[in-house]
Amino acid sequence: MSKRVIVIGGGVAGMQTAATLAGLGIHPVIIEKGDRLGGKLLNWHKLFPTFTPAGEVLDTLRRQLKDVEIMTNTEVKRIEQSGVVLNDGRLLVSDAVVVCSGFDIFRAEIKEEYGYGIYDNVYTTVDIERMLNEGKVHTADGHIPERIAFLHCVGSRDEKVGQKHCSRVCCITGVKQAMELKELFPQSEIYNFYMDIRMFGPGYEEMYRQAQEEFNIHFIRGRISEASETIDKRVQIKAEDTLIGRPLKMTVDMLILIVGMKAGASNDRFAENRGIELYPSHFIRPRNQFVDNICSSAGNIFYAGTVTAPKNVGESLNEGVAAALRVSKYLED
Amino acid sequence: MMNYYDHFILPFAIGVTVLFTVILYKWIRWFVRMPQEDRRLVLRGIPTRQTLGAIGEVFMESLLHRRIWRVNPLLGYMHTSLAFGWFLLIAVGWVEASLQLPGEIIPLHAHVFFKFFAPEVDYGITGGLLGNIMDLLLLFVLSGVALAWFKRMRSKALGMQRTTKHVLGDRIALAALWFIFPARLVAESATSGLKHSTTFLTGNLGEWMVNTFGTEAIMHFSVYAWWFYSIVLGIFFVAMPFSRYMHIFTEIPLIFLRRYKVHSYEKAKSFDRFQIEACSRCGICIDPCQLQKDAGITNVQSVYFLRDRRYNRLTQEVAYNCLMCGRCETRCPVGIELNTLRLNSREKFAAMPADNRYAYLSSAADRSSGTSKVGYFAGCMTLLTPKILRAMDAIFKAAGEEVWYADKDGGVCCGRPLKLSGEVEAARRIMDFNRDLFRKHGITTLVTSCPICLKVFREDYHLKGIEVLHHSQYILRLIQQGRICVEHGHNSFTYHDPCELGRGSGIYEEPREVISQIGSLLEVDENRENALCCGSSLANIAINDAQQNRISQALAHELADTGADTVVTACPLCKKAIARNASQEVKDLSEVVAEALGQ
Repeated sequence: MSKRVIVIGGGVAGMQTAATLAGLGIHPVIIEKGDRLGGKLLNWHKLFPTFTPAGEVLDTLRRQLKDVEIMTNTEVKRIEQSGVVLNDGRLLVSDAVVVCSGFDIFRAEIKEEYGYGIYDNVYTTVDIERMLNEGKVHTADGHIPERIAFLHCVGSRDEKVGQKHCSRVCCITGVKQAMELKELFPQSEIYNFYMDIRMFGPGYEEMYRQAQEEFNIHFIRGRISEASETIDKRVQIKAEDTLIGRPLKMTVDMLILIVGMKAGASNDRFAENRGIELYPSHFIRPRNQFVDNICSSAGNIFYAGTVTAPKNVGESLNEGVAAALRVSKYLED
Repeated sequence: MMNYYDHFILPFAIGVTVLFTVILYKWIRWFVRMPQEDRRLVLRGIPTRQTLGAIGEVFMESLLHRRIWRVNPLLGYMHTSLAFGWFLLIAVGWVEASLQLPGEIIPLHAHVFFKFFAPEVDYGITGGLLGNIMDLLLLFVLSGVALAWFKRMRSKALGMQRTTKHVLGDRIALAALWFIFPARLVAESATSGLKHSTTFLTGNLGEWMVNTFGTEAIMHFSVYAWWFYSIVLGIFFVAMPFSRYMHIFTEIPLIFLRRYKVHSYEKAKSFDRFQIEACSRCGICIDPCQLQKDAGITNVQSVYFLRDRRYNRLTQEVAYNCLMCGRCETRCPVGIELNTLRLNSREKFAAMPADNRYAYLSSAADRSSGTSKVGYFAGCMTLLTPKILRAMDAIFKAAGEEVWYADKDGGVCCGRPLKLSGEVEAARRIMDFNRDLFRKHGITTLVTSCPICLKVFREDYHLKGIEVLHHSQYILRLIQQGRICVEHGHNSFTYHDPCELGRGSGIYEEPREVISQIGSLLEVDENRENALCCGSSLANIAINDAQQNRISQALAHELADTGADTVVTACPLCKKAIARNASQEVKDLSEVVAEALGQ
């Protein structure tokens, strides 16, 4: 009888892990808390840097999961040596567990000074992906935006909200969305307020240059300090251009907060298992960051994807393959 | 005349001389160095009722230690027995010595060694009675010493989770103090035994000693016993003015000066010495300190701060590592102005601002327009929490109030953060700018939603003719005057007292009254004067974010335990700090009111 492996989370990392396990003749079970597979990608429009539609990636992954057992609308409460305990108290027995529970999106409301949830025309990058998917990008009262500001590092590298880490992928997300909006509204002025631009992936730096040279998107080094609403519901922002050392004030039609990646809320619950440790950021800390970077201290628990750190889609997919191979090796021994 | 001298009294005599010389030197020096206006306050105060009040307070506090009884009765008893008991031993001892000892002039020290000098110790009826009273008093003091020993081992039984870590000088003085009364008991008993006294304690103990060890042995022993008693007294007295025990004599002038309305203020001055040296290092301030409890910082509490400042070894790290929440100040049994002393210790560390740093304070910094009777100063933190700003807008609108917004389009800081960091002069320049601004726009009422601004407006702005209100006071007034209506719903709220609003400005009732008009109020255990700090205090620029967050977590936990639907506070900084860790919704009072506004 083939061995049974529980995969927690049905995002890209979980799907890739399960698909690889199935290919190796192992019996994976995906436990997904939502009602369908796909995770965050379900809400994404196009992926950087190639502008590949997120749906295409998901379709490919789904095709590989034809015979895989999937439990949707199911949540894991804790991880034990013998398997996982579900929220309804059931114990699912398995030979190994791969944790692919991903990340949470930073709640922009916490940075109250930017007015998300208070002012009509403050959005997050997540909202923009949804609006792009729906094909309805406009201001709250339906106008075409003439001036748009993106703010980088909302909930990343910000001690004041307990998010010291860099979420990595937001820089390129901001560039990508700026380009997409510029294509939609060629007449608009688009500004990106940043403290550093970190272009770590293949093709990212090139895209950043393209955004400036071909799309005429303005990059201003300096974070926005506060936002307020004008009478006509536009957003007035205050910032400092730190390259010229001058404070500046600007009124925009849309302020888009590029929200960072927060450690998954379930990580704390999982860490009740003695074999699972957390970083101070509450992302899960693998046994070591090099040769065992997808392994826990407990022998039969493995990790893939952003549950251990912010990663892009490609990296998460790679980890799915890697984790599956390690599981298979573990089950053989 | 009888000779009241023996060599063994020398250590005692030297000790007493050193003690009073040093104390007099200190007192005179501190008093002379006091600024003219402080000295004038004292001279004016002496012929008033305050002097009588001070005498009463000295009795209640320096002798009975009434405030310590409130912390814990056993701890109170310990202090009373030591202080009041010793005082009575001296007072009754004097009476006993003057009645019983022969000779016209009885030197002051004779009562200390009364049993040694008296020819017959329970001579006559008064002698027997006084002897027994003195035994009883000695027993009273000894019970205090026993408790003090017990406290070293089990401080929790006396209501203290943590006690002070003492320096070497304090340990020497403490050890001497512990030995004084047992030594006195042994010496007096030995002599009583030899002189066939019949008092219940020293008489009986002496009789037993003589019967057990023989007259000759006790005769030899008594000489050593009196020497030992004198030496420990001498050591204690010499150590006293240089150790924590300086508080015994410093608290007395402090009580008088305080009654004469002398206070410490933002700049250090000579009066501070009276407060600093009045600290007994009892350590009652340690337990309430959240830096200790939640952030694991154990060397900055008021007891250590005052000690370091007293011995001129205060470091910047200790001076700045304080939330100035005031929790210790409310518990200090001596009533020392701990926050003010902390504040004025910072000035010497503060950087002098460059000349052009405040060049922006020109008329261009006024971005407001119009005039009105009511002015609203949001403050920087409210501008960063725009929900509060919106709520205040809605409330002003509902009340039909014409408001001049001082800083909606950008304003100048109230100055308190600078003041808290010791930059008193820089703060003054900012305050002057804002005061002129308020005058220019003709307001008669100034409302602010930030308790940090409120405190500085009230205490440092000298806004004669302008009433300064926190928005909780203002909102309550609007409700009472019927200018706004709020609807009572089914929500439950818990209220967090911000340090600057509660302990800092004495505003506890108004926010509670407003909340109770809107829903039910569930209180946390430690509220009002004992409320916890949110950890984000502007006063502490030494701790890091993680430490701030641990303090905030502890508070959020307490608030969650009430089971209330919503946490309400009345300070934008507290709101932000609590929201980071809260499991419930966190709102400012104004938001709750704006949501409950009726027609």
